[in-house]
Amino acid sequence: MRTARLSRPDALRIIAELLPDQPIILTLGGTIREMFSVAGRRPNHLHVLDSMGLSVPIGVGLALGLEEDERYTRVTVIEGDGSLLMGFSVLSTIGLLQPRKLLIIVLDNGVYLATGGQPTAASTTDFVAAARACGFEARDVEGAAGLRQAIEDMMTTRGPVLLRLRVGIEAPPTPYFLEDPVVLAEDFRRWLRR
Amino acid sequence: MTAASAGDTDPRSQAVIDGIERLRPEFVLELPSSTLRAIIGHFLDRPGVRTFPIPREEEGIGILSGLVLAGRRAVMIIQDNGIGNLITALATFPQAYHLPMLIVTARRGGLGEYNSMIHNVSERTERLLDAANVRYFQLDHRSPIEEWAPTVVRAYEFAQITHRPVFLLVNLMGG
Repeated sequence: MRTARLSRPDALRIIAELLPDQPIILTLGGTIREMFSVAGRRPNHLHVLDSMGLSVPIGVGLALGLEEDERYTRVTVIEGDGSLLMGFSVLSTIGLLQPRKLLIIVLDNGVYLATGGQPTAASTTDFVAAARACGFEARDVEGAAGLRQAIEDMMTTRGPVLLRLRVGIEAPPTPYFLEDPVVLAEDFRRWLRR
Repeated sequence: MTAASAGDTDPRSQAVIDGIERLRPEFVLELPSSTLRAIIGHFLDRPGVRTFPIPREEEGIGILSGLVLAGRRAVMIIQDNGIGNLITALATFPQAYHLPMLIVTARRGGLGEYNSMIHNVSERTERLLDAANVRYFQLDHRSPIEEWAPTVVRAYEFAQITHRPVFLLVNLMGG
């Protein structure tokens, strides 16, 4: 039986709950606003407000930079299908560098949701096969139980790993997230080196 | 072994190498130019520094940003005709979030350039960076060779002091 698609806010709630003390990089405004609405402002969350295609590269750098820091076992990037496609070359870089703490969770809704729901190329792109072809592990996960299980598995699995979860296209109304990015970066850095 | 370790490194490239070495980098991100062969070759051969290629300049800006957030010492080395690729990434992340970083950028275009279309971007590098409100310093025929290595260090320090990305434009073609 096919599991019903999770909504993106429900997926975000699960990720925030299961990774309360590990760095999480959040992609773009829609995901950030929804995370804020379901989990509040968390010190372990880095909000990448407007850099489409850059969240995964930032995660690669952070995962490499924290490789020797035993407090952090996972650097998680929550990415969308559109943003991943904009910076798709990073999959190849991940295969080369093998940042072992990197976990990418692609919340794939198949559209550019924030701009009106125009389709991305995700419907004809197999992200899992692409990641594997670049030299690292990836798998599809389904539903709340599948997401929970996959994240728990990842806590004891050597990365890099990409998880692809298809999510719905509901867009619950959320207020703008208007904090100063300088403050966002400094808060995150202080949390990292606390 | 690359050409860089064969003892035939030109004085300008050697000065840039010496300057970057003084930064004690843990990571060097590189996207080659033929003019950067000696410098990149040095770091590819260098034990203790993790040197790796980036396929596009904006991806390098992202990885460099993550390393900076983690508190690591890193430098990116590119050529100037890739500046156009990275402006949006630069403006929306490390500039907006105040992340210090040094991007050593080899000049192309101008006298001695053999590639006709490269001028279109390379000769406008300063204007592109000015338009993006990015600080840069320059090393070329006007700079005494003994100033090159210290300027690499000062440019890195300038980025730290001003909490922003800084470009060091180095002319390795004789201009």
